[in-house]
Amino acid sequence: MLKLFEKETLALESLSDEQTALDVKNLSVRLNDSLVLDNISMRIPKNKITAMIGQSGCGKSTLLSSFNRMNELHQHYAYSGEVIMDGRNIYSKKENVAKLRTQVGMVFQRPNPFPMSIYENVCFGLRIQGQSERRELDEIVEQSLRHAALWDEVKDRLFESALLLSGGQQQRLVIARALALKPEVLLLDEPTSALDPLTTLHIEELVSQLKHNCTVIIVTHNMQQAARVSDYSAFLHQGQLIEYSDSDSLFTMPEKKQTEDYITGRYG
Amino acid sequence: MKRNIELNTHISGKFNQELENLTNSVLTMGGEVEQQLISTISAIRENNASEAEKVLLNDAKINSMEVQIDDECMRIIAKRNPTASDLRLIMTVYRATTDIERIGDEICRIAKLVTKDKLPPSDLVQSGMLMIAEKVVVMMRGTFDALARQDEKSAVAVYEQDNSIDKKHKELLKQTAKEMSGATDDLQTWFDVLWAIRSLERIGDRCKNLCEYVLFLTYGKDVRHSSMKKTLKKLLK
Amino acid sequence: MAKANKKATDKEMRKSKKVILNAQQKQAVSSFTAGLSAAILLIALISLVVFIMIKGTAYFWPANVFKVTTISATSPSDTGQVFVKSSVDQAEFISALENRLETQFSGNKASMPEFEVEQPTKVYQINLLNGDEKLGVFSRLHTQSGQYEDIQRLAKIKAEVNLLQADLRSIQDEQLTVLHRKIANLDQKNVEQGAPARLHELELFDYWQSRADELSSQIEQYSIEFTDAMGNPFRVAVKNTDTLFLPNQLSLGDKFAYSASKIFAFVSESPKQASTSGGVFPALFGTVLMVLIMAIIVAPFGAMAAIYLHEYAPNNKLTSIIRICVSNMAGVPSVVYGVFGLGFFVYFLGGSIDSIFFSEALPSPTFGTPGLFWAALTMALLTLPVVIVSTEEGLRRVPEGLRAGSYALGATKIETILKTVLPIASPGIMTGVILAVARAAGEVAPLILVGAVKFAPSLPVDSDFPFLHLERQFMHLGVFIYDGAFHNQTNTQGSSMMFASCMLLLLIVFVLNLFAIIVRKRLRDRFLRL
Repeated sequence: MLKLFEKETLALESLSDEQTALDVKNLSVRLNDSLVLDNISMRIPKNKITAMIGQSGCGKSTLLSSFNRMNELHQHYAYSGEVIMDGRNIYSKKENVAKLRTQVGMVFQRPNPFPMSIYENVCFGLRIQGQSERRELDEIVEQSLRHAALWDEVKDRLFESALLLSGGQQQRLVIARALALKPEVLLLDEPTSALDPLTTLHIEELVSQLKHNCTVIIVTHNMQQAARVSDYSAFLHQGQLIEYSDSDSLFTMPEKKQTEDYITGRYG
Repeated sequence: MKRNIELNTHISGKFNQELENLTNSVLTMGGEVEQQLISTISAIRENNASEAEKVLLNDAKINSMEVQIDDECMRIIAKRNPTASDLRLIMTVYRATTDIERIGDEICRIAKLVTKDKLPPSDLVQSGMLMIAEKVVVMMRGTFDALARQDEKSAVAVYEQDNSIDKKHKELLKQTAKEMSGATDDLQTWFDVLWAIRSLERIGDRCKNLCEYVLFLTYGKDVRHSSMKKTLKKLLK
Repeated sequence: MAKANKKATDKEMRKSKKVILNAQQKQAVSSFTAGLSAAILLIALISLVVFIMIKGTAYFWPANVFKVTTISATSPSDTGQVFVKSSVDQAEFISALENRLETQFSGNKASMPEFEVEQPTKVYQINLLNGDEKLGVFSRLHTQSGQYEDIQRLAKIKAEVNLLQADLRSIQDEQLTVLHRKIANLDQKNVEQGAPARLHELELFDYWQSRADELSSQIEQYSIEFTDAMGNPFRVAVKNTDTLFLPNQLSLGDKFAYSASKIFAFVSESPKQASTSGGVFPALFGTVLMVLIMAIIVAPFGAMAAIYLHEYAPNNKLTSIIRICVSNMAGVPSVVYGVFGLGFFVYFLGGSIDSIFFSEALPSPTFGTPGLFWAALTMALLTLPVVIVSTEEGLRRVPEGLRAGSYALGATKIETILKTVLPIASPGIMTGVILAVARAAGEVAPLILVGAVKFAPSLPVDSDFPFLHLERQFMHLGVFIYDGAFHNQTNTQGSSMMFASCMLLLLIVFVLNLFAIIVRKRLRDRFLRL
């Protein structure tokens, strides 16, 4: 029969290991002695955009930061379970956390460029990795800024302070900064919550382009945003993974009543 | 007030693509239906049962297209939250598919004349039918053109064509009634022929609906169920 | 009945209104009192600054000279005439003099002498090279070749004297010193008294010595004769005069020029006449150097301590106790630091250093005595809390998001601190250091104990190796004021110079604080959006 529209999404159940970027197995996290994540298991597909939605405090941000072990900056933190990436458990004792964080980049809610020039911002991670050859840095900076759709706007003022950029440009700069390290996974923690709607759309468009380079996981409060940008969506509630499927089905016919209530705004 | 709708200017490239795919698929569906009608006409003209059979089979394809397009509309509404012209476009597409699918059904009813061997016994009626059918084809083509180009002027022009079809239809009905009174033994066939003639007229009406949707799309005003003349005066001022 | 009731309630209400203020009135009263206390504070501050400024600038401004003639009815010995310098005008001067006499004679008008005040135009002020100054009316010039009544010749005469003095100096430097050394050499070689070489040298020496004596007696003959207020003549040798001018005839431009030259002399010359005139250069230099060394010590220590407290120390009781201790350290009286510096740094540390490294010089101490380095160290200790507190404040201003951003890019903790936290906290550190510097510049008590002296024979920096002499004693502006002004106050002129020094100190502290504010503002502007 004639197919008018092509679907890009793969069925989650039949993901092979090559198609999986992160394999979360029975992950539980406690912060300050309260259970924030309760036995989460999910496979996050490679080169796709996966969105995490749910109410505030449902644990989606915690889940996101357990992918690059940023949770460990908390004082009272305990976990069990494992996260497999490239066939290794990132929670194993052998894992170099600093190295891991170069492979799993992260972008935060508020744009947080360092108070240095645009160029130095993008170079920051590379310099820490000990890369200092000017030609190479120049190349990576340009490439990263292009990927972050910022190059044309800033190419003439690379050595001006990054703080002079607008909010949306700053956020794209922060994304470029993460991209400079060529991460396998990019974590976005509510990347547009501090931005105006139009800038938000620009960032979303950027994010949907990014999946060609890396796997994107995005946490958002904005359900519409999740629907717009993501290929897959996970709905979390009180630390539990309620529903996880491709966004088309999740937003048109969710399977669980809880999900339906949340995305239709009937919640609580 | 007319607004030019440009599909390709969304920030989201994917959204652009989705809307484009959507309009293209509607036009594909329209083209398919148009082809159906043309095939039906030639089947009637040549009394070619196998071609008519093909038309009947092909209708399933059109039905499936309607379902797919409706699904896509729903998906886009759910995922993209379309607004203003995007929303009108999707609503237009959503309504248009229903009408186009109905046109397909009407065409099937006409094609069945051939497969059931119930062509009008009178040449005069048959040629009148074919003449109307040709007019309908022209009108349908104009409709889809107007839809593709979102051109309200040609939509209005097409809209006006329906009057002549209606006039011919009335004439043909009179003619048929005259013929029927002379051939009371074959009433069953004549009833089917009457239905088919009515179907042709209905296709014209559906095309009119589609033209109204085009106006809705470009002007953002629903012009159904209102005096066309008044509306047009208001719109084209 | 109802009316009466109403009246009663009205009365009550009026009564209650009288007693209790409504919200608006309360607000007015509180804002008024607050404003009043702020105004008083402001007035106090402004008057302090204005007082010091007026008194200080008066030192540089050429004063008027008045001739006071007193006629005492009771004791003829009190009758006399005197030249008096004063920065006020004649009317004011007279009223001030009257007031003084009234208090002196406690209103006993009968015994009060009468006086007359005039402003003579022909009185010269003579500034001597040794810092002293004299007032007198010019009478004549004495030279080798005769006497002149014309003061215009002075420039010429001065040139002559200068030439003679140059001759004298060249004889002393080129001949006498060389000969003296030669003779000393011969002495060392045990050459006999009557040896011809020796006789030759002695002859030469005598010759040049007599030339020098002759020249100096010639120079002595050049002098200027003045008469004082009573008409008694006195002479001033030309070689001793620096400048002389008519203070009552100066135009405004002349006065400014005079002030400018005096200000320059003030900051570039050494003190003269037991710190009552001359300049404060050694004190200024010592202050700056001490403060600089202190800043070099205190900045890294303070910053590191603050970084440890804020970034590394666990959030427990011990840390908060340390924090409390640090802020209490800021409240310890500074003299206690001085005593500690003397006891621990100078005697204990310095003594140990001497016994280990400079044992050959003992018993005369090298580091075991108050000196520049110990003073800087003591001041560093004293200002450490200021730096720690303001650095911690700066660290607290670093947004969490930046740390997280740095960690997320694969930086370790130390990399995060060095590359992101410290640059942003730098305004805080800078402010702390500058405040510390301002504090150390004005401190007196501990410095007296650990190395600052009233008069230091040499600067701590000179051309002898190792150029910077950390063990030397030094002069300090605060100590200079404390000691000079209020210990050897011999005349009013001296204390006026101390006001000038006070103004300089105030200016230094003020400029430093201003600098701190500007630096903080500029750096904050750089990180404005954080």
